[in-house]
Amino acid sequence: MTFEVELNGRTRSISIERADSSDRFRVTVDGHATLVDVQRTGQFGLSMLFPEDTHGGVRVSLAPGSAPGELLAYLGGRTVPVVVNGRRTGRAAADTGEGALGEQKVAAPMPGRVVRVLVAAGDTVEARQPVVVVEAMKMENELRSPKAGQVKEVTVAAGASVEAGRVLVVIE
Amino acid sequence: MKVLIANRGEIAVRVIRACRELGLSTVAVYSDCDRGARHVRDADQAIHLGPSPAVESYLRIDRLIDAAKATGADAVHPGYGFLAENAAFALACRDAGLTFIGPSPDAIKRMGSKTGAREIAIRAGVPVVPGTEAPLGANASDDEIRREGARVGFPLMVKAVAGGGGKGMRVVESPDALLNAVRTARSEAGSAFGDTAVYFERRILKPRHIEIQLLGDHYGTVIPFVERECSIQRRHQKVVEESPSMAVDAHLRRRIADAAAAVASAAAYTNAGTIEFLLDEDGSFYFLEMNTRLQVEHPVTEMVTSLDLVHWQIRIARGERLTIDPDRALTPQGHAIECRVYAEDPDQGFMPSPGLVRAIRPAAGPGIRDDGGVLPGYTVPVFYDSMIAKLIAWAGTRGEAIGRMTRALQEYEVLGIRTTIPFFLWLMREPDYLAGRFDTSYLDRLLAARRGQSFSTFDERDEVHIAIAAALDAVMRSRGASSGGAGSRGTRGSAWTAAARLDGLRG
Repeated sequence: MTFEVELNGRTRSISIERADSSDRFRVTVDGHATLVDVQRTGQFGLSMLFPEDTHGGVRVSLAPGSAPGELLAYLGGRTVPVVVNGRRTGRAAADTGEGALGEQKVAAPMPGRVVRVLVAAGDTVEARQPVVVVEAMKMENELRSPKAGQVKEVTVAAGASVEAGRVLVVIE
Repeated sequence: MKVLIANRGEIAVRVIRACRELGLSTVAVYSDCDRGARHVRDADQAIHLGPSPAVESYLRIDRLIDAAKATGADAVHPGYGFLAENAAFALACRDAGLTFIGPSPDAIKRMGSKTGAREIAIRAGVPVVPGTEAPLGANASDDEIRREGARVGFPLMVKAVAGGGGKGMRVVESPDALLNAVRTARSEAGSAFGDTAVYFERRILKPRHIEIQLLGDHYGTVIPFVERECSIQRRHQKVVEESPSMAVDAHLRRRIADAAAAVASAAAYTNAGTIEFLLDEDGSFYFLEMNTRLQVEHPVTEMVTSLDLVHWQIRIARGERLTIDPDRALTPQGHAIECRVYAEDPDQGFMPSPGLVRAIRPAAGPGIRDDGGVLPGYTVPVFYDSMIAKLIAWAGTRGEAIGRMTRALQEYEVLGIRTTIPFFLWLMREPDYLAGRFDTSYLDRLLAARRGQSFSTFDERDEVHIAIAAALDAVMRSRGASSGGAGSRGTRGSAWTAAARLDGLRG
């Protein structure tokens, strides 16, 4: 079986074959093969040993994140979203930086209350200019324009409660 | 004695633990979204307060008093936040015949007003930061605001009279930014504290935030403790605290502690409280405010003194005399550091990251203390502060404590949401942090300079390991599914496993 695994903007091709026992696999990463001895630790953890590679060991956890379809990998206290076989996550899609082109939406990243709307339809905005202030978890969070352009539409008013993902402002 | 804990999260768990240790039974309270919360499970009894928004649950004085009566509680511990510094709540407890584990309603009122507290400090002969004497209420005119600003001088700080935790606080560099800053500070203060009054304070340019923990009993004894260093702040909110401070020697410690004790005595203060100071580069210090409650960061004091502050809060409330040796309280044994673990994504500007905690593995081992508030399966709600745990490391020296903290952060796993753990791992390697060279604006400057780079950095080897793990995970889950094993248990995130399964089988 071959998987395309993407993280931090780079895709690696991983092929996996069963080796001598049920928890040993011959793993080939971008053409380089190694033996991996793997055991599950709990529902989300994987303990991997590399018997052919100085017997090194590593523990990685993989769990769904809170965004739809998001898979998060945890290693040594650090976190990174991973995409297996092109299942792109919402957050990763927003991170691609293609934001500068075309119509862009500013959406609520979490449920909260709109405290202030800082722009009106027709306003010209700079890239990263604050457009809406949403209060969530007792803090006011400024949501910024992803690009320089013109405000096409404002879909909320101050005081509104919004769900995660709700589009608040459209910039063109 | 039965204690109702009028709070939630890690502090409710902390107080329940102290009660258990003293042989007291406990009553938890909870809102709709907190039915599954850890403090509800840990307490002997639990009472539902109301809907999730705090104003309809944890801030409802009437329901809390009813809950205490219904369960036969004799005492109330307010924790921190919510009603902890609300004089009306302390009074309502007293009127209902309940022992409030904290200061008197009068002391809360006196010290809770930041401008009132300044006056008391001045009377006690303790220096204060120059600023406005009377608060600027909701009716203050723009002219009045400009005039006061000019009198105090720029740069200045706009602060909420009822403030705390960095809310309702703004730095103003020049007169033209003043009115805007007052408006946003008022808006934040209004929603957080229900009081929009603000005041101004001159800004000390590179101050450290140093605070003194105190205990006072009902017989006039006030004991100040070794200082806490709380200068590591993001947007005026503390994120890392330690004790002792590298900037304070034994002589300065004694002077600050004496000043703190003088303020507390002048206010006839009882139970636990903390006096915050700004420490200037030249060694002069200024009274900032008093927090009339247990502080989030109290564990670092406990670790370097081997004293339990929550035990003492309860004992003082029961009428016991303080029998702590004052020298012991002022002499740190080793060094302690606390990291506040927030459900926030440091890689997205510390945006809140609420959601389902699928698994949690706290750090443990020598010198590590985990004051956690969350169990696996709990959904971190959007309604409250996003702190889910406090991780505390103790060791003989600061360097060793940082080593332990780093090790513990690497062990700590909170799966399903983002947390500030990767950010702390990064901070624990920063040269200026390691050298103790910082002031209250250090972290904001450092973060601004990074321009949003990820805190989770992986080398090539790490990335390959993660990629292999992701592929093996997909293979093993597809096997589990076909044999009715682990993969078919149907975790809520089964969409991606199903997808990976299909694609994997095709490949």
